[in-house]
Amino acid sequence: MAFWIELVIAGLVSGLVIGLSALSITLVFGIARFPNAATGDTMTLGAYGALIGHRITGSLIAGGILGAAAGALVGVLGYLLIFRQLARRSNVALLVASIGLGFMLRAAMGVAFGHSQSVFQLPLVRPWRLGEVPIQPNDLWLALAAGSALMVVFGVLYLTPIGRRMRAVADDAALARVSGISPDRVMIALWVLAGAVAAVAGMIAGIKTVVSPEMGWDLLLPAFSAAIFGGIGSPVGAVVAGLILGVAQEVATPFVGFTYKIALAFVVMLFVLLVRPRGLFGKLEGAR
Amino acid sequence: MKLVIENLTCAFGGFRAVDEVSFEAESGGLVGVIGPNGAGKSTLFSLITGFLAGQGGTVRLDGHDISALPPHERARAGMVRTFQVPKEFAHLTVRENLMAAAPNQSGENLVDLFLRPAAIRREESAIAARVDDTIAFLKLGAVADVPSGKLSGGQKKLLELGRVLMTRPKLILLDEPFAGVNPVLIEEISGHIRALNADGIGFIIIEHDLGALSRLAGALHVMDRGRLIASGAPGEVLKRANVREAYLGGAA
Repeated sequence: MAFWIELVIAGLVSGLVIGLSALSITLVFGIARFPNAATGDTMTLGAYGALIGHRITGSLIAGGILGAAAGALVGVLGYLLIFRQLARRSNVALLVASIGLGFMLRAAMGVAFGHSQSVFQLPLVRPWRLGEVPIQPNDLWLALAAGSALMVVFGVLYLTPIGRRMRAVADDAALARVSGISPDRVMIALWVLAGAVAAVAGMIAGIKTVVSPEMGWDLLLPAFSAAIFGGIGSPVGAVVAGLILGVAQEVATPFVGFTYKIALAFVVMLFVLLVRPRGLFGKLEGAR
Repeated sequence: MKLVIENLTCAFGGFRAVDEVSFEAESGGLVGVIGPNGAGKSTLFSLITGFLAGQGGTVRLDGHDISALPPHERARAGMVRTFQVPKEFAHLTVRENLMAAAPNQSGENLVDLFLRPAAIRREESAIAARVDDTIAFLKLGAVADVPSGKLSGGQKKLLELGRVLMTRPKLILLDEPFAGVNPVLIEEISGHIRALNADGIGFIIIEHDLGALSRLAGALHVMDRGRLIASGAPGEVLKRANVREAYLGGAA
């Protein structure tokens, strides 16, 4: 029993990574209307940013803030330099541009940090025990970091004027413009949030495993899978689906082996697309 | 505020949807635009509000050429349109729809949001008070906290008017405000339009319900196949032979 609970806990932690990255994807899809393939590499950037911040200051919190700021900065720059210029093109053009941006980020990080793997130098901490179940204190801190990132995103989305306008643009961009809502303001807020959230996801993934220039790209499939599973454009759905997917992957490991657990994400994505394209919480895109 | 359009033209391929249309409208005035389906009326609205770029002509607001401004800046300048099929932010409540449209929100700046929360709270409560007034004016109180996608067609028309009012417009362009609306609600919407017009807000209204429109409008512009074929007082314009020809297909 303790073994399964351990797996579920591990699943929840990787589920937070998937959920946060899916949240970033779903926000961009809902508001800017394209699948952002640079999300994975923004995660990588967040991981490196946090790594450097941690090495310099010795504080994970400072590292996380630096990583999130790097992600937000790349999000905004990507918007201003690329996606804004392509705003009137099809979303295929935007998707291809985002793949290109991802390549550029990955290559730049490869040059800057080398292709070897780096790890966060964290002191070993004796796990707490809840009955027979070991709990890693670090996991709790990471959950706390993810929780605060989620609180900020949902707080901004549902409690602030800019969040209201972001949701308005997600509902009907043309109507938002005639209502005097500036697309630039909304987009910059979107990219700050989407970039920072992806970066926090990358930092958590980096702390749990290793940091390398390719890590984010490898995490892109489960992230997209969760975004679709949760209902594309639904922030709550992305997070819930990420957690479900994370737990499902870990619990499946004893049966399918860890090399194949990523395939589970793909199976889930196919199944959702075939059976319930609107996902858990989604609105049907075709109905617009 | 005075709107002057001159020689507005918009072609799709070889087809001229709007062909050198010129007219004026101002705050406090109420003009109707009529014409058969496909005459170019909605396209004209899109040209005036910046949704379509067009191939020529100018749009002037109080003497300033605004032909190059994007739609949201024209809206902020005080000129706001509605759509033939009512649009709403479907997942937002009626209240949120109205709040989203209020102008000059410093809370749309992420930095201010975190650094000046008190100022933004004050601003929000001022906007909320205006929203309450608008909801009361349009009698939408019962559905204020309902996601607007769930409203009836008539309620959506009212919400649309409310959202337009939140932008503090000086000139409102209504695209078929009475289409698909029951007669009781037509009277109600007409009443709102009259009241707002009396307060100095100008209207340009596209409408097929000539009866309801003639009771409101001081002047009518008639379009046919992209061109303006007649302008003048409703009673007089509707009697003209070329208007009857175009509008009623010569049947009358």
